[in-house]
Amino acid sequence: MSWCGRPGKGVLPDAAQSRFAGTMIRVRFFTILRLLVKRADVILDRRGISVRDLLDDAQRAVPVPFLHKVLDDEGKMKRGTLILVNGRHVQHLDGLDTIIEDGDEVSLFPPGGGG
Amino acid sequence: MKVTDAGVLRVNLSKGTFVEESVGEDMYKMYLGGRGMAAKLLSDEIDPAIDALSPDNKLIFANGLLSGTSAPTGGRYMVITKSPLTGTIASSNSGGIFGAVMRRTGYLMIVIEGRSPKPVYISINDNTVEIKDAVHLWGLGTAAATDKILQEFGEKRASVSCIGPAGEKLSKIACIINDKHRAAGRSGVGAVMGSKNLKAIVVKGSNPIESEEKDQFSAYAKEKTKMLKENAVTGEGLPALGTKVLDSIINQSGLYPTRNFQFATFEDTEEVSGEALVAKGYLKSNKACFGCPIACGRYTVLPGGREGEGPEYESGWAFGADCGVNDLIAITEANFICNDLGLDTISTGTTIAAAMEMYEKGYIKKEDLQNGPEMKFGSSEAVVYYTRMTGMREGFGDLLAEGSYRLGEHFGHPELSMSVKKQELPAYDPRGVQGHGLSYATSNRGGCHVRGYLISPEILGSPEKLDPQELTGKPQWVKTFQDLTAVIDSAGLCLFSSFALGLQDYTDLINGATGFSMTAEEVLTIGERIWNLERDFNLKAGISPVTDSLPERFLEPIPDGPQKGAVSHVQQLLPEYYSLRGWNKDGTIPKGKLKQLGLENAKVVLVRKTG
Repeated sequence: MSWCGRPGKGVLPDAAQSRFAGTMIRVRFFTILRLLVKRADVILDRRGISVRDLLDDAQRAVPVPFLHKVLDDEGKMKRGTLILVNGRHVQHLDGLDTIIEDGDEVSLFPPGGGG
Repeated sequence: MKVTDAGVLRVNLSKGTFVEESVGEDMYKMYLGGRGMAAKLLSDEIDPAIDALSPDNKLIFANGLLSGTSAPTGGRYMVITKSPLTGTIASSNSGGIFGAVMRRTGYLMIVIEGRSPKPVYISINDNTVEIKDAVHLWGLGTAAATDKILQEFGEKRASVSCIGPAGEKLSKIACIINDKHRAAGRSGVGAVMGSKNLKAIVVKGSNPIESEEKDQFSAYAKEKTKMLKENAVTGEGLPALGTKVLDSIINQSGLYPTRNFQFATFEDTEEVSGEALVAKGYLKSNKACFGCPIACGRYTVLPGGREGEGPEYESGWAFGADCGVNDLIAITEANFICNDLGLDTISTGTTIAAAMEMYEKGYIKKEDLQNGPEMKFGSSEAVVYYTRMTGMREGFGDLLAEGSYRLGEHFGHPELSMSVKKQELPAYDPRGVQGHGLSYATSNRGGCHVRGYLISPEILGSPEKLDPQELTGKPQWVKTFQDLTAVIDSAGLCLFSSFALGLQDYTDLINGATGFSMTAEEVLTIGERIWNLERDFNLKAGISPVTDSLPERFLEPIPDGPQKGAVSHVQQLLPEYYSLRGWNKDGTIPKGKLKQLGLENAKVVLVRKTG
């Protein structure tokens, strides 16, 4: 796994704190996902978790099913789905295996386009 | 009437005469129609170096090959002329129903020549053509002019394309508006129409268009329509949120130009996004152009009752983040003003943003504003006020109406114009998307996002996700997208169809409609031919390849957001791009390349049909 080059990061948290303290991660819903789940975000108390697991946890925290808008039947990202970690597409990190750290912001977009 | 039977109506406004001409099948095979075929006529018939606002310029309303057929999204037409803003060839695309209705008159293209001694409009009812007095319409906004002309025309299912006061007053950022809300927006095509004293064209046609391979074409049209409906972008995202689906995507990606491109994220995006337009209750419905299963248009009603179409992503951004404005009502109001006065929303908003930066830096003084409100970022009052003044060319608006580059020159700071070839850039910071930056720099009509929309692969992941900062391979992607876009435009289809359809799909539709048996490769070569034809026009017009560049600002690092630190590498990408195009190292086109593409041929002379 590689966390290098991820933009928007501040000073890394103290290792001990990171290990034992709870970590708040904000998962933000955009475009038609927001219309679907009728909320802008969900805050999860997690640490060292993959995007894949974070999505499952976010789904459990939201009553309306939304994962089918971003993942296919095999659990892979649908073509055109955007999952951004601090503004960087996970495809240019470690995909759904990208590990989310303290204070990260995860933005979810189903396939979208315009111009 | 077969798809390839349509003719050309040539109207000379100086003489008050018109003739009908026919188009040979070879022209369709070489250029398809629309953007490509009109570029060929313009190149053959005018000296590219002329003054764009002189009577020698020609203004061509051009349908694409499939405009008005049952091909999905076949409701697009284009306006081709020499641009007064850029000095390049202009080809501005619009939807609504005008193109499809015009096609039913039997005319693929209407070529306007000369200059009328007084304001007129052209009335076309099938092949009954009249040049009518428009003195009583001069000065009217596009909505009132459209209503009045339709009333005079007296028949249902007619459509009007016209200019507002901005075009009449020769604003270099004036557009042409059809069906009240749809714009052939960019490059100042409205000023060319105004320079000819032509207020409007009204059309009504009753000739059905038949495809050559009727059953096969029908099957293709149904198949491609199904693909568009089932695609997540064209079947769900665009119908629900329109192009404003992009505000949050582009802002979260760190590419959302803010305060005249000084920053790349906007702190108040949540207030002005497509989601906000829904949440605030302003969006009433979506709206489709002719023959479109996507229906991405917005129909909006503001508190107080003002209503109309828009704002689109680009328009909302130009008056919003680019001016630092977080007031969605003011943004939408400015959009409505542009539609009525006939202004390009992108260039208007971006020109006001440039003026705001010059004002805040002290280059524009308070007295320059001629009693207008302060030009400060974030001022919704300024955005609405100066948009109206620009359209009317009153007060400080007289300078704004020249566009941001000339405004900057006037105050000694053209470097604060965020433009390429003097046309204002749209809503993506090129430092964060290297391929898209190359597309900006090399666009044949200057700053523009719809000549090669690299945002699609670099950000949106369609047809595949590319790393926006990767340089390797980007020149080839840009070339392919530019050539394919020229095909889509010349076919008369909407560029948004390309989120779901590919080259083979377009080839199917073209062959089905015409009975041609072109390969996908041959169709893409048509796009390459059109690209080179436009470039050749620009070179002959005196547009130096040195202008294949971006404003200096983009060599400085992005100061904020996810792309913080990024700079543009356009100059690094250009040599490979020129090489892939088969051009000389200095960006000129060798004769051998023109010959290879069949562009060394003699001028096409259309055959006169009637007198």
